[in-house]
Amino acid sequence: MSRRYDSRTTIFSPEGRLYQVEYALEAISHAGTAIGILAKDGIVLAAERKVTSKLLEQDTSAEKLYILNDNMICAVAGMTADANILINYARQAAQRYLLTYNEDIPCEQLVRRLCDLKQGYTQHGGLRPFGVSFIYAGWDPRRQFQLYLSNPSGNYGGWKATSAGANNASAQSLLKQDYKEDCTLEEACGMAVKVLSKTMDSTKLSSEKIEFATVGQTEDGKIYHRLWSADEITALLKEHDLAKTEETEDK
Amino acid sequence: MASGYDRALSVFSPDGHVFQVEYAGEAVKRGTCAVGVKGTDVVVLGCEKRSAMKLQDTRITPSKIQLLDNHVALAFAGLNADARILVDKARLEAQSHRLSVEDPVTIDYITKYVAGVQQRYTQAGGVRPFGISTLIVGFDNGGKVPRLYQTEPSGIYSAWKANAIGRSSKTVREFLERNYKEDMDREATIRLAIKSLLEVVQTGAKNIEIALMAPGASIETLPTEEIEGYVKEIEQEKQEEAAKKKTGRTPGTGTAAILTRSQDDSAAE
Amino acid sequence: MLGRRHSESGTGAWGQVFPARAPNGSLLDCWTFKQAHHRPRPQQDDNSSTSTTPTATTTRTIAKMEVLLGITGKDFTIIAASKAAMRGATILKTSDDKTRSLNKHTLMAFSGEAGDTVQFAEYIQRNAQLYSMRNESDLSPSALAHFVRGELATSLRSRKPYNVNLLMGGVDPITGKPSLYWLDYLASLADVPYAAHGYAQYYCLSILDKHHHPDITLGQGIKLLNMCTDELKRRLPIDFKGMVVKAVKADGIIDIEFDDDKIVKSA
Repeated sequence: MSRRYDSRTTIFSPEGRLYQVEYALEAISHAGTAIGILAKDGIVLAAERKVTSKLLEQDTSAEKLYILNDNMICAVAGMTADANILINYARQAAQRYLLTYNEDIPCEQLVRRLCDLKQGYTQHGGLRPFGVSFIYAGWDPRRQFQLYLSNPSGNYGGWKATSAGANNASAQSLLKQDYKEDCTLEEACGMAVKVLSKTMDSTKLSSEKIEFATVGQTEDGKIYHRLWSADEITALLKEHDLAKTEETEDK
Repeated sequence: MASGYDRALSVFSPDGHVFQVEYAGEAVKRGTCAVGVKGTDVVVLGCEKRSAMKLQDTRITPSKIQLLDNHVALAFAGLNADARILVDKARLEAQSHRLSVEDPVTIDYITKYVAGVQQRYTQAGGVRPFGISTLIVGFDNGGKVPRLYQTEPSGIYSAWKANAIGRSSKTVREFLERNYKEDMDREATIRLAIKSLLEVVQTGAKNIEIALMAPGASIETLPTEEIEGYVKEIEQEKQEEAAKKKTGRTPGTGTAAILTRSQDDSAAE
Repeated sequence: MLGRRHSESGTGAWGQVFPARAPNGSLLDCWTFKQAHHRPRPQQDDNSSTSTTPTATTTRTIAKMEVLLGITGKDFTIIAASKAAMRGATILKTSDDKTRSLNKHTLMAFSGEAGDTVQFAEYIQRNAQLYSMRNESDLSPSALAHFVRGELATSLRSRKPYNVNLLMGGVDPITGKPSLYWLDYLASLADVPYAAHGYAQYYCLSILDKHHHPDITLGQGIKLLNMCTDELKRRLPIDFKGMVVKAVKADGIIDIEFDDDKIVKSA
C-alpha cells in the first residue's frame, strides 16, 4: 500500500509520514559507522571506512571525515556524493559568516544552516532528501566544545556521545554503557576505537579501515583540529590491543 | 479515494479534498502536545517535552516554545525541521515590520502572516504543506489583552480562549472546554495549563515545559521545580477527590469541575 | 512594501533551494534582509560624484558640527552625542537622540546626512535584533562593527552611498571587555580606546590623549567627558545644545544624567 507514497518525495503519506525521509535514514543505516565522543578537553570523531584498497592513496582520499572551518570538523554517514554537496555548502556558509562578522560561525548556527538546507529537500518537489547524517565536532566561545548529530529530515541535536550509520543502535548502547562524564580526550579516543572494534564487521582493525580526528585545545588556549595519519591510528590501535597483528577477543 | 488525487502535491480530488493538507494534519497529530491558555492578564503556553536521553547534551535542546519577537511566542506541534523554517520566516517578518512601520507586530498580524505562509505551501507548485500547527500568544504593544491564536497546515487561523494541538489534542481540548473559567489569575491559568497537559503526559513535571507572557514583560519560563510543585498539588487534589467520591460525600462547589473531570478522565482512558 | 517584498524573495530563494547565492554569484549573505533594503534609491543627479555638489558640501560641514564622543574604561564604554538637530543654519530640535541600541550591550551613535543616518542606523538595529531572535544569542560588539563596516563598504560602491559616520560602543557578552569602534562613511573601521567624529576631533582628541587611561572608572570617564564638552562649548562656533550620554556596561545600556546648562567661560 505504501508504494504510492514513496515514489515521489516531499509528500505526506496518509498517516502523515514522509517515506522518502525514512528511506534515506534506511540508506544511512547501511553506511559505515561513525561515532563522536565529547570529552572535557576535546572531541573525537571516528569512522569506519568502507572502501579499502592497497592502491588507495591513504592521505588524500578522506571518505568520512571533513574539515568545515577553523574550529569545526564533521563525520559523514551515508552517501558520500550527497555529503560533498552539503560540506561544500557548509564551508561556504562558514566563510561567508567570517567575512561578514570577522568571527567564526557559532557551531549550532552552522549546523542549523546545513539542516535548513536538508529540510528544504524534504519539502520542495521533485527532489529527494540528502542521504546523509553528519556528526559535527566543534568549539565556540559561548558553549566551548560541542557535538551535534543531524539527519536527512533536517533535525539536529546536541550530544555527549553519538553514532550514525551501520550498527548504530549497538554503537549507541555501547557508548551509553562506557561513557563517563568529564572524561579526557585520551580516554575518549580509547573508547572510540573500542566501540568501533565491536561494531565493525571485520574482527581486526587497521588504519586503512578507520578514520580518526580530534578537536582540542593547545596549552596556550588555541583550538586545533587534526585528521590523524595512518601511523598515528596504528599506534592508537596498538595501545589498545586492537591492531591487526594482534589476536582480538571480540567476535 | 486513492485515485491519484493524493499523488500530485496539492490538487483537489473530485470530492473536494486536498489530500496533502489533510495528511499534513496527521503529521501534526504525531507531534507532541502543546496547549495555550489565556487568563485575565497572562497567557500561558505548555508543551509536552521528550525527556533527554542519557547521552544528549542538555545545553542544546531546541525548545518547542520559541520567541518570534520579544512580545510574541510560538509553540508548535509537528515536524521540528518544518517549524524551524516557519519560525525563521516569522522572525524575519517581525523585524521587517518594525523597520517599516516602527511598531512591533500585533499578535493578530504575525498570526495572519504565519498562516499566510502555510497557505501558500498548500497552493504553490512543487511543495508539500508545512507539517505543523502552531499556537501563537502574546500581548500587542502597550495592550493589556492576552491573545491566543492557532494556525493549521491548511493556513486556517483562529483565536481561542484555550486550545491544544498535537498528540491527543482532542482529549486536552475537551478537558479545557470543561474546565476553562473566565477571569483566571496567573496561578489559575498556569494550573489549568499544567492540569490539561497531565491528561496526556503521564510522566509528570520533567516532561512538561511551561512559558508565560504578561503585558510589557519578556517571556518567562517556569523552572522544573515550580512545575513539580504544581503537579504535586494537582495530583494530591485528584487523590482527595477520588477518596471523597469513594466515601460518597458531595464535594464543595469550588471543586465540582474537577470531580467531573476525573470522572470523564477515567472514561477516556 | 518591505515585508511584502521580502516574503516574496524569501519563498523564491527557498523554492530554488540554493538560497545563498546572489545573482552575480558573490558571497552575498541572504540571511540578513539586505536585499530587501537594497532597493534602488531615487537618484539625485546624473553626476556620480554627488559629494562635490554645493548642497552636499554644506551638509557635510553641518554634519561635522555634530558631536559624537566615545570613551572606554575598565568595564564600560561611554557614548555621547550632541542634542541639536540641524538643517542649514537652523537648529530644528534640541533633544535629538543620535544613538540606537543594537542589542543589550552594543550602542551605536551616528552623524552625517540627515535621513541617511536614521535610515541606516535603524536598518542595522533591526538586523542586529533579527540575529538575536534567530540565534537566541547576541552578536558581540566586534562582530557588529564588522557587519556594519561591510554594509557601509557595499553602500559606498552603490549608486547613492549612505553618508553616515558612526561610533559603536559595547561590552563583549562573553569576555566582559569594553570596546569602541570608529567608523566613517568610507567604511573605514578602527578599534580605539576613545574617539570623536566631526570638528569635535580637533578639540577632544588632544584632551583624551593626555588624560585617558584604560583602567578609568565610569565616574572618571564622565569627568573626562566633561572636560571635552567644556572645550567644545569654548571652541565650537555653534551651540550643539548639550549631549545625550549613555554608558554600556556588562549588564546593559544605561542613560546618564549630564549637566548641559553649565556655562563655560570663553577662551
